[in-house]
Amino acid sequence: MPEDIISLIQESVIQGRIYKDDEGMDEGMVGQPGVTELVESALASDLSIQSIITKGLSGGMNIVGQKFEAGEYFIPDMLASAEAVSAAMDILQPRLAASDIKTKGTIIVATVKDDLHDIGKNIVSILLRGAGYTVKDLGNNIDTQAIVDAVREEKPQFLGLSALLTSTMARMADVIQMLEQNGLRDQIKIIVGGAPVSEEFAKSIGADGYGADGFQALAVVEALTSGTEN
Amino acid sequence: MLVIGENINASNNPVAEAIAKRDEGFLVNLAKAQTLSGADFIDVNAGGGYGSLQEATAAIKWLVGIIQAAIEQPLSIDSDSPEVIEAALKEYHGERLIINSVTAEPTRLESIGPLVAERQAWVIALAMGTDGIPTCVEERLTACERIMSYLTGLGVKAEQVLFDPLVLPIAVDTRQGMVTLKTIEQIKLRYPEARVVMGLSNISYGLPKRKLVNRAFLLMAAYAGLDAVIVDPLDNKAMSLIKVADMLVGKDSSCRTYLRAHRKGNIVD
Repeated sequence: MPEDIISLIQESVIQGRIYKDDEGMDEGMVGQPGVTELVESALASDLSIQSIITKGLSGGMNIVGQKFEAGEYFIPDMLASAEAVSAAMDILQPRLAASDIKTKGTIIVATVKDDLHDIGKNIVSILLRGAGYTVKDLGNNIDTQAIVDAVREEKPQFLGLSALLTSTMARMADVIQMLEQNGLRDQIKIIVGGAPVSEEFAKSIGADGYGADGFQALAVVEALTSGTEN
Repeated sequence: MLVIGENINASNNPVAEAIAKRDEGFLVNLAKAQTLSGADFIDVNAGGGYGSLQEATAAIKWLVGIIQAAIEQPLSIDSDSPEVIEAALKEYHGERLIINSVTAEPTRLESIGPLVAERQAWVIALAMGTDGIPTCVEERLTACERIMSYLTGLGVKAEQVLFDPLVLPIAVDTRQGMVTLKTIEQIKLRYPEARVVMGLSNISYGLPKRKLVNRAFLLMAAYAGLDAVIVDPLDNKAMSLIKVADMLVGKDSSCRTYLRAHRKGNIVD
C-alpha cells in the first residue's frame, strides 16, 4: 500500500540505508530498497512531497535523535541516517523548487573567527536541511564582519554560531553586537553552540537559544519557528 | 617514545578553576604526579577567553613560574597566541623547552618561529595551513614542507621539530585513521631527524569505548613512526602500552624498560 512506503522511508532513514545494496544499522537488510528507491516509488505513487519529507524523512530523523540521546546511536549511525536524508533531499530538491512548498526558513551557520572546528556545525546543518530548512554554511574561521554581511544580504530567519575554543567563543558576543549596531538584530533569531558554550553563556551574550548537540539545536530552531509563525 | 604530559590544560574545568583561583597546590601536585608517572615534558595551557592580553599573560606567567619551581622536567608552552608564548618564555628559565605550536599559517608561523629560533627550543608543528585541518595526506605534507622550510631558514634544526600529523575522528570519516598513519610514515621518510608527535584522543571522538580505540591507534601509529605522544601520564594503561609499543618496534634494548616497569608494578593490562 502506498502509505506503507512512507513508513519504509522512515525506516530506511533510521537504518541509514541509501541504496538497495546498503547494509543498515541492523543486520539482514541488504537487498531491501533503500531511501532512494523508496522515494522514487513514493513519487511514482503520487504521494505528496510534504508527507515524504515530514513523515518519512523528518519523522525518521526524530527517532534517530531519540536513539542518539538515549545512547543507542552514536555519531557514525547518526551521520549515516543524515546521509540518507540528504540523498532523499537530492531527489526531491528539483520538485520542491518547482512546487509552491515553502522552505521552513533559512539559517546561516558559521564557526567564528580563528576557530577551525566544524563537526558539530556540519551535523547541525545536515539535520536542519533534513528538517526542511535552507542552510547556508559559511564555513570555519569566519570574520565577524563577514557574518554580519551575510546576514544583511541573505536575510535569514536564523543565525547559528559555533565555537570550540574558550579563546574564540567571545566572538559570538561580537557578532551579536555588530548586528545590533547595524540594525539587523531584530530580524533574526540567533542560536549558539560548541563545547565551551552553555545555556548561561548564550543568555549572557543575548542569544536566543543554545543547543548542546545537533538534535537540541534542531529542537530549538523548530520551537523558535513555531513561536514566530504569523 | 617521548611523553608530553597533557593534564595542565585550562580546557579541563578543575584546572581552569585552579588557575583562576591561583591554586598553586593543586597545579603543582598535578605536575609532580605526571613526572612521577614518567612524563618527559609537562605541557601547560592556561587557556583563552581572558578579558585582556594582560590577564592572559599574567596567567601563563604565574603558571610557568609555579610549575618550573616545583619540577625538574622541562615544560611545553601551549598557546596559539604569540604574545602569551613570549610572556611565558620571559618567565621560563629552563634550557630545554617545547613551544606548542606553529602551523603553516603565515602570521602564526612568522610570529612564533623567531621565538623558537631565539630560544633554540623544540617546536610542535601542526600539519595544517590557513584552510583548516586538511583531510588528505598531500595537503598535510605540503604544510609540513612550508613549516620546515621557514624554520630552517631561521636556523632551526630538523631535530628541534615535532610534527603533529593531525587526527580527525574516525566516527566522522572512516578514511582518517589511514590518512594520519600515512602522514606519519611520509613525515619520517622526508624528515628523518624530526620527530612525530600526536595526541591520543581525537581519533575516538563520538564512539563508545574511546580508550580502547585510542590505545589501538597508538600502537598502529608507533609502527608508522610515532615517537612522541601528548597523553595523560596518569593513565597507567596508556603508559604501559607506550612501553609495549617502544619494545615492539625495537626501541627497547633487551626489553629493559618494559621489564623494569613491570618489576615496579607499572605494567597494567
